[in-house]
Amino acid sequence: MEVIDSYGMMEPRYYLAWATDEAIRARGANGGFVTALLVSALETQFIDLALVVKKKSVYEGVPVLTNDPEQVKESAGSLHGVPWNLAKLLLECAPDKRVGVPTKPCDARGIIELAKRRQIALDNVFLIGLNCGGTVHPLRMRELAAELYGLDPDTVQKEEITAGKLILRYEGEGGATQEKGLKIDELEQEGRGRRDACKSCTTKLPVMADLACGNWGVPKGEQKTFVEVLTDKGAAILENALNKGAITVEDATEQSIAVRAKIERAMQALAARWKDELDVLTDNSPSERLAFYTEQLQRCIHCGACKAVCPVCACDEDAKCLDLHDEQDAYAISLYNLLRILHLMDSCIHCGQCEEVCPVDIPLTLIQRRFSERMQAHLDYEPGMDVTETPPYQETKLRWSADAKTSESEGA
Amino acid sequence: MVDADWEPKILAFCCNWCSYAGADAAGLERRQIPATVRVIRVMCSGRIDPAFVLMGFLEGADAVLVTGCHIGDCHYVDANYKTRNRYEFLKVLVKELGLDPERLQLRWISASEGPIFADMVREVTEKVKKLGPSPFRSVWKS
Ligand SMILES: Cc1cc2nc3c(=O)[nH]c(=O)nc-3n(C[C@H](O)[C@H](O)[C@H](O)COP(=O)(O)OP(=O)(O)OC[C@H]3O[C@@H](n4cnc5c(N)ncnc54)[C@H](O)[C@@H]3O)c2cc1C
Ligand code: SF4
Ligand code: SF4
Ligand code: SF4
Ligand code: FES
Repeated sequence: MEVIDSYGMMEPRYYLAWATDEAIRARGANGGFVTALLVSALETQFIDLALVVKKKSVYEGVPVLTNDPEQVKESAGSLHGVPWNLAKLLLECAPDKRVGVPTKPCDARGIIELAKRRQIALDNVFLIGLNCGGTVHPLRMRELAAELYGLDPDTVQKEEITAGKLILRYEGEGGATQEKGLKIDELEQEGRGRRDACKSCTTKLPVMADLACGNWGVPKGEQKTFVEVLTDKGAAILENALNKGAITVEDATEQSIAVRAKIERAMQALAARWKDELDVLTDNSPSERLAFYTEQLQRCIHCGACKAVCPVCACDEDAKCLDLHDEQDAYAISLYNLLRILHLMDSCIHCGQCEEVCPVDIPLTLIQRRFSERMQAHLDYEPGMDVTETPPYQETKLRWSADAKTSESEGA
Repeated sequence: MVDADWEPKILAFCCNWCSYAGADAAGLERRQIPATVRVIRVMCSGRIDPAFVLMGFLEGADAVLVTGCHIGDCHYVDANYKTRNRYEFLKVLVKELGLDPERLQLRWISASEGPIFADMVREVTEKVKKLGPSPFRSVWKS
């Protein structure tokens, strides 16, 4: 089948693909396409390194930056209980190395923001985008297993999300594998399930990556991944795997394409509803907001963890928020928190990493979102989507067009 | 309700080359400038880190004025464009935080515009008198 023209551009852009190697296909989340792609790219030295997440248990995954195809093979499968953001881990990697990274939309957006800040050379990074319905905090996953599934969390060996259900596979009596599935919608009505950031996340397809891979649009029961080719870079790494015979590819049918688009829209609508529902400040007056922010942020113990994990903050320990912060002051809200809010208003991608690590459980996702969504709407700017854009806070000229025009005439 | 005798404390950041000179000139001409204002001189409005503005509010300022040379007149090429950009961020932040947006003002005032400086301080003083003390005054860390 002739899928590649002489310019390396793919026509059409939608495929169903899977690993030719049966072992990889069986182990992968949806046919092992991503794993086969990375393994073949390493073997042919198309890339130097891959950054993947290796399963320790259903509740723990470790990111590994490796040039060893065997390690990549072991990382096959999707871990929904591992809410890592991989962006900052790429900083460990020398900029001249070519790296392949499977990225959820929030990983890809973080990487693009770091690239804007000259921390990552994006030309050398292959973003193998994964569609994303969301992640569950590992501790919440354990609670779910114990309280709603009635299982000893440590006996759960595998977790899977299929057709709106979270399915747990566990070792039952006599060692036989058994499974139990509950509807995610129902879990979430009871305040369980995915992280708040994921419930409200409207970026369901990694459209800013080089490829977008997922199971939406794949006919039921088929071990294949739906792949959209988004850039020439994506086409090139796919071509590399095809030439090596590592993957098998067929054109996606019109129906597959339509189903995927339909699910995406439904997920976005659901996320928009969650966003409203989780925003406890919607109906509050300014003074109630101030009371909420001070009350919540006064619990901060200034551990700095939220800054350290934030995938769009490129500052080291000489950062302004840390420098100007004085623990002895009697400020209602610390300068540390206010400066983080200010500096991220144009760039926060609402990934929720900050909240995940906060030892005193300050609702940082909501707080950062309240400020940044307003600023980003004002700027008509979406961070993490296009590496050629400069973060507006660092711009000299105003971004919004009306003012930009007046500033030009004023400047003359 | 707001005490009629209450006088707000207004923090004004003034650029050495324009608004500070303007304020100075107004003083030399013996124009009245309300005693509500505390002026901090900087070499350029571009030096006014948004952190200074936030610190002003956290320290209990009832209003913060950011002033500088007119667009195109900055002595450091385009630094006041940056001031204006940062101010847009501060404005959104201050509002969402729950402070009245009137408490933060950006004004371009040249060295010859001393009377305008005096008028601005008067105007902001009146506005803030209506708004009352900054809510930050009552939420010091306990
Ligand atoms: C948390 C999560 C949620 C997803 N939700 C959806 C969805 O709702 N709809 C949909 O169509 N597709 C979703 N996907 C994508 C889908 O599960 C498959 O990853 C995709 O179809 C590719 O399948 P594969 O067999 O080719 O991947 P594999 O060959 O199994 O490779 C999967 C790759 O994903 C990486 N990975 C695993 N867990 C994580 C993680 N938590 N964070 C970052 N990388 C990880 C591994 O390193 C591995 O390289 C999701 C993926 C993840 C990780
Ligand atoms: S924030 Fe969005 S992209 Fe990131 S894990 Fe959650 S749902 Fe996926
Ligand atoms: S502030 Fe929090 S939610 Fe926003 S990008 Fe940083 S870690 Fe993610
Ligand atoms: S993680 Fe929480 S406690 Fe630590 S600095 Fe951030 S807000 Fe404060
Ligand atoms: S010199 Fe006055 S604003 Fe720059």
